[in-house]
Amino acid sequence: MIDYSSRRNRFSNYCKWFLFIIFLACFGYHAQDIWLRFNQIDTENILSASPMKNKKFSGIVQEVKSSGLSAYLLEEHSVPIVSINFEFTNAGSAHEDEEKQGLTAIMTEMLSDGAGQYDAVTFRDICEEYGIKLGFDTGADEISGYLHFPKKNMNMALKMLDLVLQKPRFEKEYLSLRQQQLKTVIKMSLENPQSILADKFSEFVFAGHPYSRTQADMLETIDNIEEQDMREFMKNHLTSENIIIGVAGDISINETKDILQKIFAKLPKKYSGEKMSEIDLELGGREYNVKKSSAQAITIFAVGGTYRNNIDFYPLYIANYILGGSGLNSRLSQVIREKEGLTYGIYTTLTESDAAAMIQGSYSATPDNFNKARKLLLSEWNKMAKEGAKKEELQQAKDALVSSFNLRFASISGIASMLTAMQKYNLGKDFLEKRNDYIKAVTLQEVNAAAKKYFSITPDFVSIGIETKEKQ
Amino acid sequence: MSVQRKMKYKNKKLKNFLMNKIFLLSGLALFLFSQAAQALLFKAEEFTLPNGLHCVIVENHKAPLVEQMLWYKAGSVDEQKGKGGSAHLLEHLMFRGTKYVKDGEFNRIMEKYGISDNAFTSFDVTAYHQFADVSKLEVLLALEADRMENLNFDEKAFEAERKIVYEERMQRVENNPSSPFYERLRMMLWGDNPYGRPVTGMPQEIMSLQYSDIMDFYHKYYAPNNAILLLSGDITSQEIRPLIEKYYGNIKPRNVQREKFEVNKHPFYEILEMSLPDVSSVKVYERYLLPKHSELKNKIYDYLVLSEYLGGGVTSALYKDLVVQQKIALSVGASYNFVSNGESVFAFNLIPQNQQKFEREEVIASLREAADKAVKNMDEKRLTQIKRKMSADLVFVNDNPKDAANWIGAMLASGFSLEEVQNYESNLNAVSLKGVKDAYESLKSAPHINGILLPENKIIDRGVEK
Repeated sequence: MIDYSSRRNRFSNYCKWFLFIIFLACFGYHAQDIWLRFNQIDTENILSASPMKNKKFSGIVQEVKSSGLSAYLLEEHSVPIVSINFEFTNAGSAHEDEEKQGLTAIMTEMLSDGAGQYDAVTFRDICEEYGIKLGFDTGADEISGYLHFPKKNMNMALKMLDLVLQKPRFEKEYLSLRQQQLKTVIKMSLENPQSILADKFSEFVFAGHPYSRTQADMLETIDNIEEQDMREFMKNHLTSENIIIGVAGDISINETKDILQKIFAKLPKKYSGEKMSEIDLELGGREYNVKKSSAQAITIFAVGGTYRNNIDFYPLYIANYILGGSGLNSRLSQVIREKEGLTYGIYTTLTESDAAAMIQGSYSATPDNFNKARKLLLSEWNKMAKEGAKKEELQQAKDALVSSFNLRFASISGIASMLTAMQKYNLGKDFLEKRNDYIKAVTLQEVNAAAKKYFSITPDFVSIGIETKEKQ
Repeated sequence: MSVQRKMKYKNKKLKNFLMNKIFLLSGLALFLFSQAAQALLFKAEEFTLPNGLHCVIVENHKAPLVEQMLWYKAGSVDEQKGKGGSAHLLEHLMFRGTKYVKDGEFNRIMEKYGISDNAFTSFDVTAYHQFADVSKLEVLLALEADRMENLNFDEKAFEAERKIVYEERMQRVENNPSSPFYERLRMMLWGDNPYGRPVTGMPQEIMSLQYSDIMDFYHKYYAPNNAILLLSGDITSQEIRPLIEKYYGNIKPRNVQREKFEVNKHPFYEILEMSLPDVSSVKVYERYLLPKHSELKNKIYDYLVLSEYLGGGVTSALYKDLVVQQKIALSVGASYNFVSNGESVFAFNLIPQNQQKFEREEVIASLREAADKAVKNMDEKRLTQIKRKMSADLVFVNDNPKDAANWIGAMLASGFSLEEVQNYESNLNAVSLKGVKDAYESLKSAPHINGILLPENKIIDRGVEK
């Protein structure tokens, strides 16, 4: 007689063992997951019980008008300092005469090389003694300036700014020094493959447009610049017609009005430069390699993008944020850096200048890793175009952008330059109140439509260090 | 010099030339003499938890923000020989999971709450920092405290991260044609001392690091009694202390022993001349090895004032003489770095104006002559003016709450007390003319080197001993 029961027992024993082994295998494999399920740090819980609650930054943006000029002002009296930030639009290096490239760089440097009754050394000595920080910068589109000072030294600070704008010395002796210095700085910058690549990228993408001018071109024309060129450029391009002003810190409306009237209203009234015409960029699918040997190959890649005032802006901003804009959590960083360790960093960002908008990205890697990274990049790029973002990713992006909002109020000088940017991009005086709502209103459909529209094109790649045979 | 976990993306606008700042030296020394204080520099309070964690709270109520910075007193100098890069690799792996936080989760949480975070490793310290809306502070405390004792990453994360720091070294160091010169110059100054080795480690060292090397370093140095916690922003000591105790209070202290290093204090003089492909311009460096700040005490302020007077920017004595008047240099500067556990370093940097016909001896002699003359001519009036400049913009240090955390943390981690940080301005004002002149005299008997970086040419001449 067959003992069914014992066979059944043996069978059920096998089953038990089998299940136990399976269980062990699964548990072992997922040990950490299971452990974590019961023991992870629950941040939501921590925050809901935390005594540290949400506070709104109390600053209000006011528009101050005087003498036909206007400025955005944000009063903040907790630290006795003031920041003034200003920008002359359509006045940057792309507006230089082709034969005088480097003019705005030299001019902005020389603005603090003495003015009025003060020679360069005395001028800077006074600024340092009074804690006055006064300087200028030049971009392709604009010339920007800043004045930061302790409140108690306001009169002296304003006097120095006024002198610079009205009576710069532009002395010959300093001009030749600045020319020599600029040439050396450019040469030093071009030692670096990253800088060479940036030059070549502009040359390739903006061919035929002033944006395509390079540092290397500038080397050839710096010596053509004369005192008269700078004076003329100032007269035509640094005017009250094309200025934007942001003021922040320990200062009142009336004091701000005073500054508009006594300093900026004295600038020439009429702008007589030319606005940049928009470039019809046709980016996509092209490849350009700069021959040079370097430890790592570096690439900059780009497709056409959109401007801030375009309806696509926020959806595209979020799509890009998810793909490559959010740092180590972006899809590209996750796949290429965090999982595979192929690069120290990869990112994509929306760029905007007066005449061109792009989605631009970059990474560098040793030769073996470079191509692997590129394959992964293209596959993520296409996936974003085809499948768009997931609901959770959109939520995470919105949470991030909303929660980080207050970070922009960290410093008075940062606030002043933000006020300038708000005017430059026509965001409106109430932008700070509305900005989080703009983010929250973006839908998944909008993000995916933007992703499809912009990421369906394979980017242009401009790279250096891939081909090493011939040195350039 | 320090290396960071996340890349900072440079603005593409390369046409932004800081022509007067051709030499931007290691941040903090410059930060110290360009910025600075009132009677007490910061509104700050300190206390120490029973487990040894030193906490400093700085108030700044401008906006509802807070910066957390945790400084471990462990950096590349604490690595075992041959294990270069372990402090830095550990810094990266601190983001790859703990017993309670999965790999990837830390970054996801940071992003979700809009927290801007990073970390860096230098010779003496490793620091982790986050900047956030003040409502998120408790998450910062919970996560930072957790990874002080519960670090737990797997082999896969280890392998990936080791490749990442290797790529980081390639990007920051190997892709820069001047790097071999700067690494060599450091090695010559410090000799067989960990301060002479690069923070990143050498490429072959990085790739030979093992999982256990990293965990050993972690267990040896990461402990509450070997760390300083800085919280700066819209907070008060009273409301924050219980929260700090809640998260950091239960972490057990360890017995931490840091090795002390001796340098060759006999005066020596060497010259390093190196020519490298792709380098475009001649540059001249001079480095003096001076005693540690803990030995110099208040004399560090004499050296600080001296460096500002001689070479702190375009109004300095050397700039006026060598750049504007004599037209020997295109740029010249001096700096003094004392924020370290090791020896302090006084440095001169110069770019010669005549790049075609560069005469080494001539340029070095002019630099020395100009400095001699300037120190001889320095009077009480100019000293007062220099001190006024150095104090004038101290008001700015209370603008961004991150600056306070950075400054106080760096100084405390190098062995200064909070009191010394707070009294910075009065210490500066106590400097006498004799003090500055003596400081300059002392350079003459200090070990020092000259470094000459040249384009193309093939001469490599390693110096002579005096």
